[in-house]
Amino acid sequence: MKVIFYTGKGGVGKSTMAAATAVQLSKNHRVLITSLDPAHNLGDIFGVTLKDKQTKFASNLFLSEVDLQKRSREYLEREVDVLTRTYSYLHALNLTNYFNVLKYSPGIEEYALLTCIEETIRKGNDFDYLIFDTPPTGLTLRFMALPRVTITWIERLMQIRRQILDKRYTIQKVRGAPKEGENNPEIKLKYDEKDDDVLNRLKALDENYQSLNRLLQGEDCSVVLVFNPDLLALRESERLIEGLRDLGLPLRLLIDNKVTKDNEDTAGQVEKMLVRYFGKDIPVRRVELAVNIACQLGRCLYEIPEDLVSAL
Amino acid sequence: MGEEEKKKSFLKTFKEVLDGFSEGRRESVIALTCKEVQELENIFSLLLLGAFVGFPAPPTFLAVELLPYMEREMRVLHYRAETSGDMLAELCGTLGID
Repeated sequence: MKVIFYTGKGGVGKSTMAAATAVQLSKNHRVLITSLDPAHNLGDIFGVTLKDKQTKFASNLFLSEVDLQKRSREYLEREVDVLTRTYSYLHALNLTNYFNVLKYSPGIEEYALLTCIEETIRKGNDFDYLIFDTPPTGLTLRFMALPRVTITWIERLMQIRRQILDKRYTIQKVRGAPKEGENNPEIKLKYDEKDDDVLNRLKALDENYQSLNRLLQGEDCSVVLVFNPDLLALRESERLIEGLRDLGLPLRLLIDNKVTKDNEDTAGQVEKMLVRYFGKDIPVRRVELAVNIACQLGRCLYEIPEDLVSAL
Repeated sequence: MGEEEKKKSFLKTFKEVLDGFSEGRRESVIALTCKEVQELENIFSLLLLGAFVGFPAPPTFLAVELLPYMEREMRVLHYRAETSGDMLAELCGTLGID
């Protein structure tokens, strides 16, 4: 199973390129294309209405658009459930209202996105290719950095937690076993790593993120950068290349979209600059702008004559 | 009360006194470690929930994820917040300075 992310500045044609690639790939492989962009237009490209579940478009091609708000809500609901089960005395209180506020707290949306990617990858074993159409640069870099940032935090927290357990162990040893009838929670503190719920949860999270990180940086993952022949797209693409390099994510293809006869020279320059900026050899594909597509009613948006798959 | 019983009762009391003495010694030995644990737990919860008081915080979801298991840490945090008005006195108390 291969995973491909389509990234780039807003409006350069990420979704269209991702859709075109998916269609080309689906001739020989089973493909699932997932849109993570909150402003979905995957459905518009294929001319269907998509909900937050997989829809079969052709025998080998499946589509889905992620409802981020729904995902964040579901995630928080799950947490509230664990909370109310753990803190038994809170049963009477209506915590859901409090957690409605958390929905707007920074980070939850990126987390929902990441969980969604993870889930799609985990359940996507019967597909040959998983294609993700990502939101514009800023958000994409943020959620792609999330596994690494999180791992750093988890490691620090685990270190402190182990110190706490270590000290608790010392205390327990000096104090000796609790006497009969003693019910002070202070005396019965958990000191074994296996018994500590916080550490166990941290370990589980760590394991989860490490495997996601391995997958994102591995051989089977590719990032495709889509850009247009103009200065703004060039600058943002440079930032994206740098961001991806920092995160250790494998950029494998550049697509220069919306090239016409008039901007061919600019396209050439932009491509050259980006390849130079990337520093290594990387394939570049040029896609011509279909100027009068609106008049050609028979032609679909996702049918692009240029070959987009051979470099993947 | 017979002689034998008196002896038993005396020995029992004597043992209790010794036990109490030993427990007292042990408690005084670990008092500082106990404080340290509390302090570490406080730091742990502050790191995790620091966003609420303006510290640089880890990704919010990490806090949400661990919140269900943090009952004790939250209590310590609360206790520390309440007593932090007189840190010096507490420090003196812990270190046994009169």
